[in-house]
Amino acid sequence: MQLPILKRTNAHAIITLLLLVALLTGCVAPVAPTSDATPTPANEAAAATNAAPVANLTEGCLENYDATVDYFPEKATVVETDGFTVEYYNHYKVVTVATPWQGATEPLQYVLVQCGAPTPDNFAADQIIEVPVQRFVGMSTTYLPFLDELGLLDRLVGIDDVTYVSNETVVQMAADGKLTSIGYGAGVNVEQALDLDPDLIMTYAMGAADSDAHPVLTEAGLKVVVNAEWLDPSPLARSEWGKFIALFFNKEAAAEAMFAETAMRYNELKALTADAETKPTVFTDSEYQGTWYMPGGQSFVARYLADAGATYLWADDVSVASQPLAFEAVFDRAQAAEFWLNIGYIGSLADLQAADARYADFAAFQSGNVWNNNARINASGGNDYYESAIAHPDIVLADLIKIFHPDLLPDHALVYYQQLK
Amino acid sequence: MWGRRGGKENAPTPLRPHTSTPLSLETTMSTLTISTQTWPRLGLRRLALAGLIAALIGAFLLSLAIGSVNIPLDNVVRILLGGVPDRATWADIVFKFRLPKALTATLGGAALAVSGLQMQTLFRNPLADPFTLGVSSGASLGVALVILSVGATGSLLLAGLGILGDFGLAAAAGLGAALVLSAVLLVARRVQSSVTLLILGLMFGYLTSALVSLLIYFSLPDRVQSFSLWSAGSFGGVTWSQLRVFLPTVVLGLAVAGSITKALNALLLGETYARSLGVNIRRARFLIILSASLLAGTVTAFCGPIGFLGVAVPHLCRNLFNTADHRILLPTSMLLGAILALLTDIIAQMPGNQFVLPLNVITSLFGVPVIVWVILRQRKGA
Repeated sequence: MQLPILKRTNAHAIITLLLLVALLTGCVAPVAPTSDATPTPANEAAAATNAAPVANLTEGCLENYDATVDYFPEKATVVETDGFTVEYYNHYKVVTVATPWQGATEPLQYVLVQCGAPTPDNFAADQIIEVPVQRFVGMSTTYLPFLDELGLLDRLVGIDDVTYVSNETVVQMAADGKLTSIGYGAGVNVEQALDLDPDLIMTYAMGAADSDAHPVLTEAGLKVVVNAEWLDPSPLARSEWGKFIALFFNKEAAAEAMFAETAMRYNELKALTADAETKPTVFTDSEYQGTWYMPGGQSFVARYLADAGATYLWADDVSVASQPLAFEAVFDRAQAAEFWLNIGYIGSLADLQAADARYADFAAFQSGNVWNNNARINASGGNDYYESAIAHPDIVLADLIKIFHPDLLPDHALVYYQQLK
Repeated sequence: MWGRRGGKENAPTPLRPHTSTPLSLETTMSTLTISTQTWPRLGLRRLALAGLIAALIGAFLLSLAIGSVNIPLDNVVRILLGGVPDRATWADIVFKFRLPKALTATLGGAALAVSGLQMQTLFRNPLADPFTLGVSSGASLGVALVILSVGATGSLLLAGLGILGDFGLAAAAGLGAALVLSAVLLVARRVQSSVTLLILGLMFGYLTSALVSLLIYFSLPDRVQSFSLWSAGSFGGVTWSQLRVFLPTVVLGLAVAGSITKALNALLLGETYARSLGVNIRRARFLIILSASLLAGTVTAFCGPIGFLGVAVPHLCRNLFNTADHRILLPTSMLLGAILALLTDIIAQMPGNQFVLPLNVITSLFGVPVIVWVILRQRKGA
């Protein structure tokens, strides 16, 4: 677990120090999440006087509401992603998810009200969410790295399925019985979800009412928010969704700092490849059920490859979604390509050749330049590339640069990628 | 009620003394099919057969010539004649992609059509095919058992076992298919109604699908991945090394089917008639099950479940050739099955376009109208 380092004000330092003490003294049971009746030191600092607070309230509720006070002095500024926006008011913030699922025509809006402050009018009841959230259920592993690094794992009471989780703290929490798996999609266990009594369930949506979890959960009277980070086609923008998660915990300052650091490193790395002499040719994936799903030219993968100084052979494609191609079409274009990435579950060159002998006819296979993003895979097959890497596109980019231009990053050791033997 | 036998099925039929010459059987068959018999015999049929063979050759060449990648025709010809094409990858595409795929489609289409024909005759049911009787699901279960539970290396099972793995997969699929087919047949001997039989077949299918889902639920993701890689209907996934297993197995199945056309004809008349014609019913039934499960099982093992060709092709042949005689139906079903498999695959590849459509989408688009037509016809006749 990592604590955000905040140096700007004394109040920050005090809060951080107090949190540290609280954590160090109560390692087994960190600050009890449900104890909003007993004000923590941080609450007292902010709520005792009616003077404008200098930090957001990350624990508990307001005691003396004052309509003239701005309760969110630490604000998120969204710079990279177009996926969500936030408007701040004195005691609430309005968060808009532009495209909650692929092809959605209407945005979704959530009203995050400071606990202890009155609920604003003109919003539907299921849009209202009290913050900071104390009991949180996350229905995707992609939220875990942000929760971890923002110091929020103690608020996590439920997830969809622990089988595919890589985060060791979360795995341990589940083993200790502190975490309930409630299933995913429309098959979500509503009874268990209700029993957890969460303040908020964060989930993703495909836009199909009969397969999504959020209609069922909302119907049951639970507070549900749809996170659309997975639709964001830019790796850096996708990592900015950490700020989205932070909004519900008033953790904007920490999330801003975390993203700023990631963005700085990402852009530095990207700049490294700008002058690269060669841009090696790359293709990705493998045939699946008679079809080769090649990432679109505007996709997440395409963005990574371009930023890593490679020539993606389908970069001319105008779509974000993967394209269903025939094997022969891929072979025709990519036979001579220098690199082959992200081949799926196949573990070795021999397995690859055995799955289909024609894979061995690619030049990248013959030169051994087949790399897979499965270096961090857990015993049940859960891949950390789809978990912690969402928060660390800079590390993925460093991996890719190391693969394509080893001389640019001589000291970098691969994290998510490995070469197929 | 099916084929062109109209309402004559239950009418007393003059039974001729049986001799073992094919001619005599032909005569017996035609007394049954005579009511709507309009085709002049063998002569025109030979012509039609020749036409089908020509069409098969044409479809085969067409599937070598066109595909996702645009290879100019002169280049295709040059490649086939051993010359050097404008682009080096084109030769590989023709020899390593299109040729094995065309062979697989030819064999697979023939196999599915013949196993469908055999099942329709065996069960005296116009809607029987590897799918409706749950035979494909049985084959899937066999494959699922192998891929999901036996794979010890944690990697692709096929990878570890090579050609033995391919044989194992075909054997598992064949056994699974035979198991379901025998179970359905066992019930069929007690139940007369073909609707009941069909429903039972569906139930067996659901049962095996449920078992497959259960296996998937408790399996590791990489195995599930290998299984789902397998379970799509596609002719394109069969490579030369797999053809070494696929081709002889299908040819064997077709040969067995070809050797029992007389028994199939006899079974059409009902078991009592067949027995009186000197057909060993038990042996005939065993050979039909053997051949049908070998054919349906092998195709399912290598190409995944492919729908509709099995049920649709025999009906098309009965109508085109206006007969219920298996000595004509069997070769024509084989040819037409192969032609249609090649053509549906060409359509699925959407020539000139990089994209592909799932094969089953195309076979269903073609097969559904045929099944609807059969059902409606049956309604009218009842």
